Amino acid sequence: MHRKFMILTAAALVLGMSVSMAFALGGGNGRKGKFLYSKNCRSCHNGGTAADLSPADRTQAEWQATFSDMGKIKCSGDWTLSDEDINDIYTYLYDYAKDSPSPAKCS
Amino acid sequence: MAQTSRTLSRREFFKASGLLAAGALGGPALLGGLRTAQAATETMTPAWDSRFGVCDMCFNKCGLIARVENGVVTKLDPNPKFVKSRGMLCARGNAGISHVYDPDRLKHPLLRKGGRGEGKWQRIPWDEALDMAAQKMDEVREKYLPCGHLFTAGTDMQSLFVERLAEAYGSFNLTSHESLCLVSGSRAFLDTFGEVPFADVLHSKYVIMVGANRFEALVTPDSMDLMTAMREHGCKLVTLDPRYTKTAALSDEWYPIRPGTDMAFMLALAHVIVGEGLYDPQWIEEKTYGMEQLREHVKPYTPGFAAEQCGIPAEDIARIARELAAAAPASMVYPGRRSSDYEDSTQIRRSFAIVNGLLGNWDRPGGLLGARAVGLKGVPYDAPWYDDNHDDRIDAGKVPMMFEHEGSFMVTRDSILADDPYPIRGWFVYKTNPMATAPNRAKTIEMMHKMDFVTVVDIAMSDTAWYADLVLPSQSYLERIDPCSGLQGSSACACVVKRDPVIEPLYESRPLFDIVKGIAGRLDLGEYFDFTIEQFREKQLADLPGADGIMDRDGVYYNPSKVYGIYDGLVYKTLSQKVELYNQRYEQMGIDPLPVYTPPVQPPANQFRLVVGRNALVTQGSTTNNTLLHEFVPTNTLWLNPGPAGKLGIADGDLVEVSSAVGRQAIRAEVTDKIREDTVYMLTGFNTLSTQQRLAHGNGASIAEILDGGYDTVTGNAALHLTFVTVTRKVA
Repeated sequence: MHRKFMILTAAALVLGMSVSMAFALGGGNGRKGKFLYSKNCRSCHNGGTAADLSPADRTQAEWQATFSDMGKIKCSGDWTLSDEDINDIYTYLYDYAKDSPSPAKCS
Repeated sequence: MAQTSRTLSRREFFKASGLLAAGALGGPALLGGLRTAQAATETMTPAWDSRFGVCDMCFNKCGLIARVENGVVTKLDPNPKFVKSRGMLCARGNAGISHVYDPDRLKHPLLRKGGRGEGKWQRIPWDEALDMAAQKMDEVREKYLPCGHLFTAGTDMQSLFVERLAEAYGSFNLTSHESLCLVSGSRAFLDTFGEVPFADVLHSKYVIMVGANRFEALVTPDSMDLMTAMREHGCKLVTLDPRYTKTAALSDEWYPIRPGTDMAFMLALAHVIVGEGLYDPQWIEEKTYGMEQLREHVKPYTPGFAAEQCGIPAEDIARIARELAAAAPASMVYPGRRSSDYEDSTQIRRSFAIVNGLLGNWDRPGGLLGARAVGLKGVPYDAPWYDDNHDDRIDAGKVPMMFEHEGSFMVTRDSILADDPYPIRGWFVYKTNPMATAPNRAKTIEMMHKMDFVTVVDIAMSDTAWYADLVLPSQSYLERIDPCSGLQGSSACACVVKRDPVIEPLYESRPLFDIVKGIAGRLDLGEYFDFTIEQFREKQLADLPGADGIMDRDGVYYNPSKVYGIYDGLVYKTLSQKVELYNQRYEQMGIDPLPVYTPPVQPPANQFRLVVGRNALVTQGSTTNNTLLHEFVPTNTLWLNPGPAGKLGIADGDLVEVSSAVGRQAIRAEVTDKIREDTVYMLTGFNTLSTQQRLAHGNGASIAEILDGGYDTVTGNAALHLTFVTVTRKVA
């Protein structure tokens, strides 16, 4: 039910915005996203090179805004991820955002 | 100072403990560290070593000092610097000695030889045990994919390693004890305030206690602080409970509310507060979302309506609402932390949260507080990914708002029994006992019979262990090194504790960490446990330089973090970024955005509603075999009102049979007017199946055998007040 809602809101967002994205956000595999996040992102986002990031650092709306214009994510130029992988990572961050039904715990 | 020359009254005792607490907060210079205290006693020929510990007789984790003589713990004392418990250790904490030295403790690995639950065991060496656990887990994964194995961990400072093992193994199916406990209440408050609050009862002027029994179900510091608030600061306590609990006895007012009608009472409070404008309009305007919808919603819920439902006079409901509002924001409906009672328990607790929202008590003295900064860091790890696996948890999507991290034991059990949507055939359990804590024990036994292999790690032969294939003896809280744990102590403190061994481990017991490390190594997952607990603690404490040394000196580290006004300048973690009186996400998901009252089904003629509850000397099935506590609570009884008892020809002390749709048990009746006529009650944790719990086996009745197995439809939390029972005198 939750996932359906997410697809709807993500779809609404996509429709309402300038089409700068090649794919629709949301409805990905959040579990795989967690794995992909730690594999690809945590090497920098560990409080050293870049800020330590947890899904619960932002609201769902903030994650949506961030990923709706990925050009503004500083490191996105270095990503070698497929669209599907990026969507999985987004889904992980969105599903466990600080205002989500299951906010990520600190670890 | 004159008080020192007199006998210490209760009032003065609390005042003194408050001073002690203030001293501990003030810093080490005031009271000195443990070493100094010990040095002072050395001139008096010290006969023992004093060592810090952290209690494990319930979930509170109170600081303690163990007296160790010749390698044996001879006494457990409170750590006076442990502010969260106000420098106290309860009876259960004192009885920890009998937990550690229980002759019924598991002593070595045991392999089942007979049928499940038959009690035939063979002692095997550790290497063989770990080989077997790993081999069976591997077989389950091979046959049923990683999600074909369930992992369940209780509340413990090492339980995070069970989560890590599950994730490394590749199973999403991890359940904690929480869905047999408090998640519907957590859900309700999280969905109203954006986080689960801590109650600042110490500074409260008016507390309504509903669905909680804080003077028996001890929570630190709330149990002590509420007493201090009442005795020292004139705080008024109003309790609603179908039983005359000790909390009820100490309250200013007690109402034996009809079970299942709490929401009607709360909505009537909201009706009066909103209707009479007894709120801070600026707070409501700036901080809350949905006041207009709430105003419309509560119109029909008059005190007169609630009175008919709850059996509490309308004028009292209206008066309580006005008194509560007059004391705001230093007043509250106490959030409580009990299990679900009904299928709409999240909505019932939402009605509690909404009244708090109207009081404007969030983040303010005497109200509900957000979590304070503790400063412990998580220790992340890169779990592997298995493409060849099921997509989700077995309990996923079956209730709309389950907590992903906790799961739902009840939904998981039903799903396993139905192989829906896939089979689970392996189960690893650490230090929790769903056989005794989950309603409908027969179903849990059935679930056991579904399994190819069950490994249980525990200190004693619990009923869950009794049905396992492999039972591994773990260590008590006085024998092991544990990771650090951050504790929230409301306005008292935010602190960090750790455990170091106080005595050498007994028998062949091993810590859970060593066990999962051993299993992981055999499954080629050793890299996920490639560290020691000391190294793990270093990572946890990376942002708290000096904290480790302070814990060595004081037994606890306090983070002097902000208590009130944490949200100043910040938004709430809800969709509207405000306190959601009206929940937007619920609306989007088709859940009632405001709690709608449905009268509970009443017990049929000649039947009673069976309710659960707590006693300060019992932590469910984990203490009923404790020799010291057994002296205080030697058995459980069925509380039965004299009215119906007379009609049924039952006298106090008679043996009765209690039967429900799912089970029956024999128990002695305690005929007492401390309970409503339509309700009966018994304690949990008695009449174990396991014969290796000598004081609890064959003693009293098992409530898990009688309770029927419903759950809260929003979270999947076990709902424990749905069961109707008949009570008949048992003829010898």
